[in-house]
Amino acid sequence: MVAAAGNSKTNPRQKATFLTRLILLSILGLAISLPFVWMVSASFKTRAEVEQVQIVPQTPTSQNYPIVLNTQPDPVTHKKLDLKFGRWYFNSLFIAVGSTFLQVLTSAFAAFAFSRLKWRGRDTVFMLYLATMMIPGVVLMIPNYQAMVSLNFLNTYHGLIIPAAFSAFGTFLLRQFMLSISPALDEAATIDGANSWQIFWDVVLPLARPGLIALTIITFLGAYQSFFWPLIMLNSDQLFPMSVGMLTLDSSYGQQTELIMAATVMNVAPLIIIFAAFQKFLVSGLQLGGVKG
Amino acid sequence: MKVPLLEERAEAVQGKAPNGNSGKPARRRRGSGQTAAALGFLAPNLIGFLAFTFFPVLFSFWMAFTNWSLKPAVKFSYVGLRNFTDLLGVRPITDGSPGLLWEYVFCGALAVIGMIAALWANMSQWKGTRLGGAVIALAGLAFLVIGSQQAIQGVALAGIVALICGLTAASQDADFKPGVGSIPGIMIALGAAGLWQMHTAMEKTYEPTDNYFWQYFYNTVFMMIGIPFSIGGSLLIALLLHEDLPTGAARQRMVGTAICLLLGLMMGGIIWTLGNPNAGLLCALLWGIVALGIGFNVVAFRTLFYLPTFTSGVALMILWKALYNPTTGPINLGLGALYHVLGIHADPPHWLSDVMWAKPAIIIMGVWTGIGGTNMLLYLAGLSNLPKELLDAADVDGAGPWHRFRHVTWPQLAPTTFFITIMSIIGGLQGGFEQARVMTSGGPAGSTTTLSYYIYNKAFQDLDMGYASAISWVLFLIVFVATALNWKFGKGMEVD
Repeated sequence: MVAAAGNSKTNPRQKATFLTRLILLSILGLAISLPFVWMVSASFKTRAEVEQVQIVPQTPTSQNYPIVLNTQPDPVTHKKLDLKFGRWYFNSLFIAVGSTFLQVLTSAFAAFAFSRLKWRGRDTVFMLYLATMMIPGVVLMIPNYQAMVSLNFLNTYHGLIIPAAFSAFGTFLLRQFMLSISPALDEAATIDGANSWQIFWDVVLPLARPGLIALTIITFLGAYQSFFWPLIMLNSDQLFPMSVGMLTLDSSYGQQTELIMAATVMNVAPLIIIFAAFQKFLVSGLQLGGVKG
Repeated sequence: MKVPLLEERAEAVQGKAPNGNSGKPARRRRGSGQTAAALGFLAPNLIGFLAFTFFPVLFSFWMAFTNWSLKPAVKFSYVGLRNFTDLLGVRPITDGSPGLLWEYVFCGALAVIGMIAALWANMSQWKGTRLGGAVIALAGLAFLVIGSQQAIQGVALAGIVALICGLTAASQDADFKPGVGSIPGIMIALGAAGLWQMHTAMEKTYEPTDNYFWQYFYNTVFMMIGIPFSIGGSLLIALLLHEDLPTGAARQRMVGTAICLLLGLMMGGIIWTLGNPNAGLLCALLWGIVALGIGFNVVAFRTLFYLPTFTSGVALMILWKALYNPTTGPINLGLGALYHVLGIHADPPHWLSDVMWAKPAIIIMGVWTGIGGTNMLLYLAGLSNLPKELLDAADVDGAGPWHRFRHVTWPQLAPTTFFITIMSIIGGLQGGFEQARVMTSGGPAGSTTTLSYYIYNKAFQDLDMGYASAISWVLFLIVFVATALNWKFGKGMEVD
C-alpha cells in the first residue's frame, strides 16, 4: 500500500538519493540480520568450534539438530538429553491454535453484537471492555492464577487455552472492522428475511475477512510466544510450550551454545515461514494491531 | 481508546445509508428481537470477560488491602492501606524530621506536576513555552554536569533527557517572552534543584520502607532510555522506506539483481580465498541484501526489518544471551579483536553480568528488536498520509531535505510520534519481565529487575499475593497517567 504510491514517475530528487537510500538500507539490513546469521551458523558448528569468532563453520555438522530432538545421543557424554523437544513443539502449536481459534470466534461474535445490533446498554458495556484494555496484564495475573488454583486448572491444557480464549482487544479490533461495513447490507438482508445469525455468517463475516486474518495472526503470534502464563501455570515438562521449554533447555544445557542455537533455529523457523507466507496481510493488520503495541 | 471517533464514524456511515420507505417498519421489527440476539452473540465473550478480566480486577483490588499469601503459615487478615504505605513510605533512621520530609515530597510533586504541565503547555501552545524550554534545558545541563562529575548514571541521563526536551521546546518558532507556559519549566527546575539539595540530608534521616521498590522503579525508568533511540531509528527507516526505490522496469530489475548477486559471489569468493572467510561472507551477504532490495524493492527491506519483532520472544532472548556471553559470545570476541587491532589493553564489557552494562545490554537488544517493528509501520502509515501539496510547496520554495523534514514532515508526523511515544512508555513501564526472567534472573545485584519482575517475584516466589497486588495497582496508576495524557492530547491520532 505504501509501496504502490511512487511507482509511476521518479523525480530528480528521488534519483539523486536512490543510491544513498539503497546503501543505507542494505547496511541496516545487514546489521539487523547479523544475529540471525550467527544463530544459524552456530547451530551447524561443533562444540570445539562454537566459541570461535569465525562465522563460517570449518567443519559444518548437522548433528546438533538430532541431538536436541532426542534422536541421537550427545557425542561427548554419550547420553541422550533429558528434553522433550518434539512434545514442546506440539504443545506450543496446540495451545496457540486452540486459543486463537476460540478467541477469534468469541471476538467475532461479540464484535457483531457491539457493531451491528442495537440493544440497550451496548455502549456502556463496550466502554467497560475498553476500560479494561489499559489495565496492565500483571494486575490480572495474580487473581487469575488464584482462580486457576481453585478450579484445579493448574497443569492442564485447558488452563492455558480457556483464559486466552477471550479478549477485549480482539473484540475492539473486529468491531472497528465491522463498523466500516455498510449497514445497508444488513437492512437488505433483513428485508430478504434473513435472521441475525444469517446476517452474521453470510454477510458480515465474509466482509470482515481482512480483520479476521489480522486478528488470527496477531493472536497466534501472541499465543505461540506466550511465556508468563504457562510459566506460572505449569510445572510438568510434558505440558511445556516451546517458550518455557527453551528456558529449561537454557538452564540445563546453557553452556552448549551449539545445541541452544539449534533449538532456537527450530523455534524461530515456523514463525519465519508464517511471516513469509502472510506478509501481504500482515502490514495492514499489524498497523491496526499497533494499538496493542 | 478512540471511542468518540469510532462512534462518529459509525453514525456517519449510518447516516449515509439509504433510509427508504421500507426502512422504518423493518427497523422496528428488528429492534424488538435484537436484544435477545445480541445477548446470544455476546454471551460466550461476556462470560469469559467477566470471569477472566472484570471480576479479577475487582478481586485484585480487594487483595491489595489484605495480607493474602499462599503460605499456609500466614493467617489472612485485612491490613487496610498498609501494603501501600509499606511500598511507598519511609521510616526515620534517627529522629526524623517531618519538615524536611514534607519539603522533599513537595519538591518531588512539583517536578512531576511540572513535567505533566510542560507537556500540556506545549500541546496547547501556551505563550512562553520557549522560555520554559530554555529553563528546562539549563536545569538538564546542570544535572548532566553534576551527574557526570560524580559518576551517577541516573542523574546524568535525566540531565540528558531534560536537555533534549528543553532544547526541543526552546527551538520552536516563538519569541522568548515569559508567559504562562514558562511556569512548568520553572517548576521542574525548582523541584529538581530542591530534590538535589535535600538529597544528602534525606538519606541520613529517612530510609524507604521498601528500598527495592524504588530501585526497581528506577531500573524500569532507566530501561526506557532505549525509547528515543528506537523511535528515532524507526522514523529514519520509515523515511528511507516510504517511497519506492526507482529500480526501473521488470527487465532492468532482473538484470540489476543478477549483477548484484554475481558481484556478491565474486567479491565474497575472492576475499574468502584470500584468507578472510568472515569478511567474505559479510560482503556476499551485503550484496545479497542489495540484490533483494533491487528485486523486491522496499517490501524486501520492510520484511527484513520486521523480522526481529515478529520472532521476538524467549528464543531470541536466549540468542542474545549467547551473543552477550563475555568470553565466548561473538560480540566480545569481535570487540576483543577490535581492541587488539586498536591496541587497547582492556577487557570488553561483561554485559549481562556487569552491574554497569547489564541495563545497556538489554536496552540495545530492545532497540534491535523494535526498531523495524510496529513503530516503523505506524510511521509509514503516517508518511503515506502526508499531504503531497505541502512537500511540493516546500520544493517550490527551494527548501533542502533538512528544512523539508524539519518544517513539513516532522510537524505533520507529530500525532504519530506522540502516540508511539506514549505507547512505548506504557509498554516500557510494564516491560522487562521476560528479559529479567530469561537473561539475567533480575541481576546482577538487582540491576535488571523491573517492576513487573518484582511483582512476579513477590507473587510467585515469596507467595505474597496481597503485597504483589498492591505493587501492580501502583504500576497501574502510573500507566493510567500516561493513558490519560494520550486521551487528552492524542485525539488526532487514529490508527487505520
